[in-house]
Amino acid sequence: MMVLLQRFGRRGCEGLETLGRAGIFLIQASFGVPSPEGWRLWLRQMHFVGVLSLAIVMVSGLFIGMVLALQGYTILVDFGAEQALGQMVALSLLRELSPVVAALLFAGRAGSALTAEIGLMKATEQLTSMEMIGVDPLRRVVAPRLWAGFVALPLLTVGFSVVGIGGGYLVGVEWLGVFDGSFWGNMQASVDFWSDIGNGMVKSLVFALVVTWIAVFQGYDLIPTSEGISRATTRTVVYSSLVVLGLDFVLTAVMFGGLS
Amino acid sequence: MKRSKTMELGVGIFMLAGILGLVFLGVRVSGLTFSAPGETFRLEANFANVGSLKPRARVTMAGVTVGRVTDIDLDTEWYDARVVLELDGELEGQLSRDTTAAILTAGLLGEQYIGLSVGGDPETLSDGDAIRDTQSAVVLEELIQQFVSNMATN
Amino acid sequence: MFDNFPGNLPMSDSPLVVVKDLHFSRGDMPIFRGVDMQIPRGKITAVMGPSGTGKTTLLKLIGGQLVPDAGQVLIDGHDVHALSRKALFVLRRRMGMLFQSGALFSDLDVYENVAFPLRVHTDLPDAMIRDVALMKLEAVGLRGARAMMPAELSGGMARRVALARAIALDPELVLYDEPFVGQDPISMGVLVQLIKRLNEALGLTAIVVSHDIKETLSIADYVYVIADGEVMAHGTPASLDVDDDPRVSQFVHGEPDGPVPFHYPAVDFVTDILATGAQR
Repeated sequence: MMVLLQRFGRRGCEGLETLGRAGIFLIQASFGVPSPEGWRLWLRQMHFVGVLSLAIVMVSGLFIGMVLALQGYTILVDFGAEQALGQMVALSLLRELSPVVAALLFAGRAGSALTAEIGLMKATEQLTSMEMIGVDPLRRVVAPRLWAGFVALPLLTVGFSVVGIGGGYLVGVEWLGVFDGSFWGNMQASVDFWSDIGNGMVKSLVFALVVTWIAVFQGYDLIPTSEGISRATTRTVVYSSLVVLGLDFVLTAVMFGGLS
Repeated sequence: MKRSKTMELGVGIFMLAGILGLVFLGVRVSGLTFSAPGETFRLEANFANVGSLKPRARVTMAGVTVGRVTDIDLDTEWYDARVVLELDGELEGQLSRDTTAAILTAGLLGEQYIGLSVGGDPETLSDGDAIRDTQSAVVLEELIQQFVSNMATN
Repeated sequence: MFDNFPGNLPMSDSPLVVVKDLHFSRGDMPIFRGVDMQIPRGKITAVMGPSGTGKTTLLKLIGGQLVPDAGQVLIDGHDVHALSRKALFVLRRRMGMLFQSGALFSDLDVYENVAFPLRVHTDLPDAMIRDVALMKLEAVGLRGARAMMPAELSGGMARRVALARAIALDPELVLYDEPFVGQDPISMGVLVQLIKRLNEALGLTAIVVSHDIKETLSIADYVYVIADGEVMAHGTPASLDVDDDPRVSQFVHGEPDGPVPFHYPAVDFVTDILATGAQR
């Protein structure tokens, strides 16, 4: 019993320690001074985490929008309310699905790659050698990746929504024959720019921060062996997904749940 | 160097597409209009009961949206609800002093909104004035209760 | 830039690096228990010892990447571990380090790798950077490989590029971490030559950590042998060769068994073999 308690205590302390390290790490890294050089590094990372994640996010968005329209139609048509299809697709995408699904895909596609990349740089002593040359790897390696992630995910989320609504339109209007005017009209009447799109973007920003932070920290903090890298990559995806889903509940409760 | 040029172009297109996407969402999906918010003016109205009226609800006139509710709170002097309305500026000085405000319901179970109808008083309402003649929300339970008690007395 | 040529070397006899009573442990395991060293200026000093004695750790302590439990490392009079992060980074510009794996930046090509320290620490125009970088690459004989990516290089070439990068800023002190490990005889010979030549031509102070006895002794001016967390012996290569201490002579002459036992500690072989009921 005592042993069990002791073990829990030690685990807890270790967890807190890691959290503290991660916090210090985030602060040190994100205040890297921007320079022309930093700008170029950031651009390269934007390409890596943003542009290269575009395809998977867009394709998923299209299918999710199409499925939403299909499912929604079969339910709404029973109440003769299929005109509300546009509203349903847009609201579920903007408020929930786009931020969450885009963040999950981002964690899987870009987050794991970030962890593995930084981990490999650590394992091959590139980070240490950078330090010995007198360059802070937090600024040179970590900061551009963090900022690229912060910017890329919200943009990907917007893309996800646009393509998703396009997919909904395709299935709802073109295929199932919902009236074009009421599809857009109902959508415009019910979607509010600030409370729906704005809150969705806030969610997405929070997720971007958390996912990139986890990914980069896991890469920086891992044990520099091949086993360590593979474990850290898995941890990135698992932790990011859990934290995104958990935070989504909290944010939803605060934004839409009437907790005031 | 060539590779980095195409990369820069890619990132540029990506960011532009993101911003255009946001504009699309704003204009096409939420119907945001970019005309300046325009002049508005405020009126107050006290209701005995606002039912489930919410801030941001529509204010209409002959079915046309002319403004929205900005604030609802309890008037501790009369213990009724004070509702602040924000109306299009072009209506300022057009609404007669005996304009009535009623809380209406869209459909049987729809959301509640405020409908204004003009009277005949030559004097007009201006910013900060209060609408005297108001009609409270219809609360379904009260209606049913009334109906039942009427039945009983008959 | 020409500060490091022998002619203008500050003619001081004080050692460049002084290690005083260094204690360091990893977890519960002590690695160093009071190490004292003096690294003379402009000489090649070798630090040798069996694997697992923390030679690389020693370099990391000198470079300020690890902090000792007790003791000091003084570089040119500065206590490395008492410096602020900023001052430490400034001091590191005067050091170069060659890592065991080369540690080239995998996203930059050979030329950019060598130019990297110049770009971050100097405001030189591109043309000058190009000249210096090509000069350094020429020194290691890889000017022709400037457009290759690190992944395309062989192990020996990668280490030579890393050496060119380590000396790009004309450091006063170069730390070599196992420069000969895993090299074929030809590239080993090339590296030995390079280290020797750099030391002679530029007057660099070098610390070579290695357990390749023959190669190291052939270039070192002074040798420290560490074992069990302490300095076991030190002296010139010639004096070590005739050292009486059996531990030193076992190491220097590469005998498989001696005071450092061949067998990892275990129960007596016969008892172990005859033990009944044991699974493994």
